[in-house]
Amino acid sequence: MVLEQFDLPTLIRSLFSERGAVAVAVLVLVIGAIAGYLVWRGTKRFLCRQGIDDAVEGTLFEHTANNVGLSTVGILSQLAALAVYLLSVIVALNIARLVDTEFFWIRFTTLLPRLFVAALAVILGLVVGDKAKLVVSDRLKSVKLPEVSIIPEIVKYSIFYIAALIALGQLGVTTAALLVLLAVYTFGLVFLGGLAFKDLLAAGAAGIYLLLSQPYGIGDEVEIDGTRGIVQEINVFVTHVESDDVEHIIPNQRVLKRGIVRIRE
Amino acid sequence: MTAVGNFLEEFADDIGGVCLFSPSSSMYNTFAEADAPVVVIGTENEVDADVFVELPLEFRDPTERIRFGVEGALGQDAIEEEMTLLCILGSFSDDADTVMRVRAGAFADSGVYDLFMDSRPDPSVVRDVLEVAVELGKKGQKGKPVGALFVVGDAGKVMNKSRPLSYNPFEKSHVHVGDPIVNVMLKEFSRLDGAFVISDSGKIVSAYRYLEPSAEGVDIPKGLGARHMAAGAITRDTNAIALVLSESDGLVRAFKSGELILELDPEDY
Repeated sequence: MVLEQFDLPTLIRSLFSERGAVAVAVLVLVIGAIAGYLVWRGTKRFLCRQGIDDAVEGTLFEHTANNVGLSTVGILSQLAALAVYLLSVIVALNIARLVDTEFFWIRFTTLLPRLFVAALAVILGLVVGDKAKLVVSDRLKSVKLPEVSIIPEIVKYSIFYIAALIALGQLGVTTAALLVLLAVYTFGLVFLGGLAFKDLLAAGAAGIYLLLSQPYGIGDEVEIDGTRGIVQEINVFVTHVESDDVEHIIPNQRVLKRGIVRIRE
Repeated sequence: MTAVGNFLEEFADDIGGVCLFSPSSSMYNTFAEADAPVVVIGTENEVDADVFVELPLEFRDPTERIRFGVEGALGQDAIEEEMTLLCILGSFSDDADTVMRVRAGAFADSGVYDLFMDSRPDPSVVRDVLEVAVELGKKGQKGKPVGALFVVGDAGKVMNKSRPLSYNPFEKSHVHVGDPIVNVMLKEFSRLDGAFVISDSGKIVSAYRYLEPSAEGVDIPKGLGARHMAAGAITRDTNAIALVLSESDGLVRAFKSGELILELDPEDY
């Protein structure tokens, strides 16, 4: 593709005169300007239709952008337009042979897309991280403990970190050390999370079986692990068994481990 | 104008607290700065008030609204029974147009707030079932009035004090009240006789149940039919509450501990 482009200036010179080549370059610039404008409008409308402008509402990035008279959607669409403008300028320069094309062409075609991907990664990371923080803290709203507020922050900075890694990787910065850090962090999260949620996972797995096959239902009299009573409620994690004004809440893995005695008169 | 001013001053004299019903934030802020306790009552806590009583329904009738709100505030210990309260609410529109002066103690034991907040089932479940009953009462089944009986909470005991009239359509299903599809299902199944049994967490356990509590000594107003009697009796025998939609007069009634707690007309909501 790139090699084909190389012959473009010579091709144009063979078709038109030297002056014609300059005219073509100007024409390319004009077309680039129009295309950029169309891309800007199209991207903006597309993002708005996808509900991006509502989705980013309330995030810090959107707030900062608003403060300087911009919006996330605006920045993204301007970025897309900028890519088109730059491309047209490069093509025009190439045709007009104003710069050392070969060198210029190779440098830009490799660097430019990476630059844009990096910028996109940074913006997306900022927006998604903030949004994730908002969603998580909204979920944890009913838990009114100050310690809980650290969880949304962790989620936010984890996403920022990954976005930064992607951006740096695109720019060609060595990220090996940072990657190792990420691996250690992920491993810790999975390992410790597995350790902490061990019982919940076991109860959940047992609960799914109990809910699907329903060996006993609400209103049945059962004996589970020595506690006898009437089943009041079954959910994914626990079974409520009530007898004489005492309600036993039995984790589901115990139900499955110890077996169920159904009492029928 | 002085006569009106004097009257209002006297009217608002020795007020112990203020109840604001769905106030605007500016109104709330004016009252929050005064030293009398302020209670905000509404379907949503829009002004982030410290003392907030959530209304389970959009009570159209101002007296119902005040009854529920004041009882809720008493239940939260935000006000005391001997207090005289000034209630500011919108009777005819959403803006505040009515000021009422009530004594808090007069609403101490109507049990409406208690029905929602201190019953065995979750408040949101009671609210959802009440909404279904009200909607069913409003529209009926294909235009014809229907009756329905919902027994909410203590499902295990209720199931043991009842027997099936037909196959249970909710067998091995996991539907909860409040899911959009459920309202349609409940409406369809209300065509057949029998009670709906709903668990504490809102799972619909069964339909078509014939309740067999001992109805001895259940005292409900005369003139109500067998459905209401069954509802009263089952709530006395178990810790459940019962919501009944009457087929004859179209009213929704709520029972708890064998007593009629709440009576409302679906057309008002």
